[in-house]
Amino acid sequence: MAVDVAIAAGTERQAPTRRKLFTAESLAGYVFVAPAIVLMLVILVAPVLIAAALSFTDYSLGNPDFEWVGTENYEKMFSRSTYKKMLTASAIYVLVVVPVSIGLGLGAALLINSLKRFGDIYKTIYFLPVMAALLAMAIVWEFSLHPTIGIVNKVLASGCGGVLEEISEWYAAGCARNFPLWFGDRDYAIWTVCFIGIWQGFGFNMVLYLAGLTSVPRELYHAAAMDGADRAWDRFRLVTWPMLGPTTVFVVTITTIRSFQVFDTVEAITQGGPSKTTYVMMYAIYEKAIQHNLIGIGAAITIVFLAFVLLLTFAQRWLVERRVHYS
Amino acid sequence: MIGQSSPFSEALKHAVLILGALIVILPFYVMVSYSLKSPREIETNTGGFFGAQEQMVDEYCVKLGNAREDCLATPVIHNYTQAFKKAPLLRYLLNGVIVTASIFLIQVLVALPCAYALSKLKFWGREIVFGMVLFCLLIPVHAIALPLYIMLAKAGLTNSYAALVVPWTISVFGIFLMRQFFKTVPDDLIDAARMDGMNEFSIVWKVMLPTAIPALMAFAIFSVVAHWNDYFWPRVVITGNRDLYTPPLGLREFKGDGDGSYWGPMMATATIIVTPLIVAFLMAQKRFIEGITLTGMK
Repeated sequence: MAVDVAIAAGTERQAPTRRKLFTAESLAGYVFVAPAIVLMLVILVAPVLIAAALSFTDYSLGNPDFEWVGTENYEKMFSRSTYKKMLTASAIYVLVVVPVSIGLGLGAALLINSLKRFGDIYKTIYFLPVMAALLAMAIVWEFSLHPTIGIVNKVLASGCGGVLEEISEWYAAGCARNFPLWFGDRDYAIWTVCFIGIWQGFGFNMVLYLAGLTSVPRELYHAAAMDGADRAWDRFRLVTWPMLGPTTVFVVTITTIRSFQVFDTVEAITQGGPSKTTYVMMYAIYEKAIQHNLIGIGAAITIVFLAFVLLLTFAQRWLVERRVHYS
Repeated sequence: MIGQSSPFSEALKHAVLILGALIVILPFYVMVSYSLKSPREIETNTGGFFGAQEQMVDEYCVKLGNAREDCLATPVIHNYTQAFKKAPLLRYLLNGVIVTASIFLIQVLVALPCAYALSKLKFWGREIVFGMVLFCLLIPVHAIALPLYIMLAKAGLTNSYAALVVPWTISVFGIFLMRQFFKTVPDDLIDAARMDGMNEFSIVWKVMLPTAIPALMAFAIFSVVAHWNDYFWPRVVITGNRDLYTPPLGLREFKGDGDGSYWGPMMATATIIVTPLIVAFLMAQKRFIEGITLTGMK
């Protein structure tokens, strides 16, 4: 019954809109959205479909023919060690960079927000890496971390013979032999790449958290204080953190999607090495598909990548709809 | 926040933040400092921040068969002139400006009318188009680089300005942002314009565009920062044709053939590439941060 009414209402509403199809207003509407629709279809939708189709082929650019190979490309990705290393490198990068850059962003925002003065100076400084071309900064970091002429190892070496050697075994070992090669050592390379990612990105999260903090009503702190929550940790746990829920969900999603796309540092410095420890997905797509012309496998990686992004975004929507803040 | 912070805890906070700031600034310090120094000062890490600026001998110039005394140079001048001489850095910078500006202009040209139609015009299918915009927001353009590259290669467009610009002409994010903004513009304004005999086309550019300036500025910052700094996409579609290199590609090329003695000019190049956005940011940081927050929060 209700359905019938709805349908009737639907058709009733349909009639006048149909007549409106060619009013000046609707015509203008179609003209205005047409370029955007065409570009969306050609630049965003079609490539996804093309990638999906190509991921089941052994296509390579320049060859007229190709064969359908079924799920072979995907099977390779989940069985061969190269791709296992790729997934591991991406996973490590995302699992390190996301929490640390968010934690540091939040920490910096809280500290700056609670300062009596000079907060703006730190805000400016921490945001500088967000503005600077990552490629340029990656090259500078590579230079700073250079094993022989880099400033970092020089500073580390200058601390040798002091207390640090006694406190830390790692430091003592560094003094006895050499400090790490950073990008050249497979035990360190991925962590060093992560470090640059964190260095570059946490200022962005800080700014988003600072914006989030300004929207926390001060009365809530008064109310919490009335209820006896007057330690800083209690205020944070009971008021600040829940109120920052929506910001956090957004920051997690955007940082994760960005982290999956890390490329500049890897391409310019490590080229996926040593021993494929920094062979992240975006670099794998570039190397396999564009340098080696193995389009099929590149397309398969692209599809897995998109699946991750979709999953994440749906998780975000779901969390936001569940209203992460407990109001 | 509430709670009285003692001078001690205040000092502790500053100590932590200063330590962080030192780590954040370190590579900027290294970059600028080493762009001022001679190779020997770089290798031995001497000369303080500015370097001693003693005359140095340009070994490359000697290799070309010149007398040593003709090859003397002041490090800072040497590094910065080499940055422009060794590679056509000016050309790269110009390319960067052309590409970044074209991308932004086309994005606005496409997004603004679309956003206006989606927020203010009634037509059948409007919700479908908006649904499409929301769907496309999910697709990161970098992630679909491979099929885009294949399409451009098939169309014979790799190694062209078009290849650098075309994939970025549609900003669904820009459409979304502008639509949200236009929703807050009162309908009366548009009705009044219609009464004055303006057609929809002039309403977009003469009424909506001026009101949207703050949102457009925010979007401009977002777009320019992203595309000036982008390295991935130029790396994919520009292969070999140096005339089309954007600044990050030019810097990468420098690194490719650097044998260690070119650290000075390379750091000078890096400084030149990074400076425009940093200076713009320092001059208008409030705007930048608002812009990034606004566009970041979607």
